[in-house]
Amino acid sequence: MAQNPAQRRYMRRMILLSAAYIAAVVLASWLIPDDAAATPLTVTIALVPALATSGFIWAMASYVAELKDEYVRMLEIRKMLVATGFTLALASGWGILELFTTVPRVQLFYVFPVWCLGLAVGSLVNKVTIGDGGPCL
Amino acid sequence: MKNRLKVLRAERDWSQGDLAERLEVSRQSVNAIETGKYDPSLPLAFRIADLFGLPIEEIFLKD
Repeated sequence: MAQNPAQRRYMRRMILLSAAYIAAVVLASWLIPDDAAATPLTVTIALVPALATSGFIWAMASYVAELKDEYVRMLEIRKMLVATGFTLALASGWGILELFTTVPRVQLFYVFPVWCLGLAVGSLVNKVTIGDGGPCL
Repeated sequence: MKNRLKVLRAERDWSQGDLAERLEVSRQSVNAIETGKYDPSLPLAFRIADLFGLPIEEIFLKD
């Protein structure tokens, strides 16, 4: 399926942000020693990759806002709603397990990747309920 | 909501792609509207009505 201009812009932004994210993670790993104390310097360096992840969220929000096709926009928003519900359910369920049992502790860092996985679940929900999974990005 | 989009399109010998191009939406949208999986917004319904030169209520019908 041909990509519309909003999809093309989204892909371009995500590729640039992914490159920035990888570079920032590599740089932070190189500059910050293992088990470093949380000083203003280490926190600042460690937060640089977080800027890129915030950029991912901005790119997704811009993509939805720039979509001209209202039906495709609806499919994307449904995917994001399912992803949000999926992430909240999983995070609170696991959080309660951590509270009452000795299951392994999961780092908050994983919330965003889980939400992205939730997008795939959202696409599946769209496919099952509407018969259309929406654009594959 | 039911609609007569498929009939009106066929009368003009347009494919779903042709109609999508005229409405500046995706072919997916036209298909979803035709099959009743998606009800268009009022602005899009007016664009469809304008394109076929018909009032909205002659295209979209109450269930």
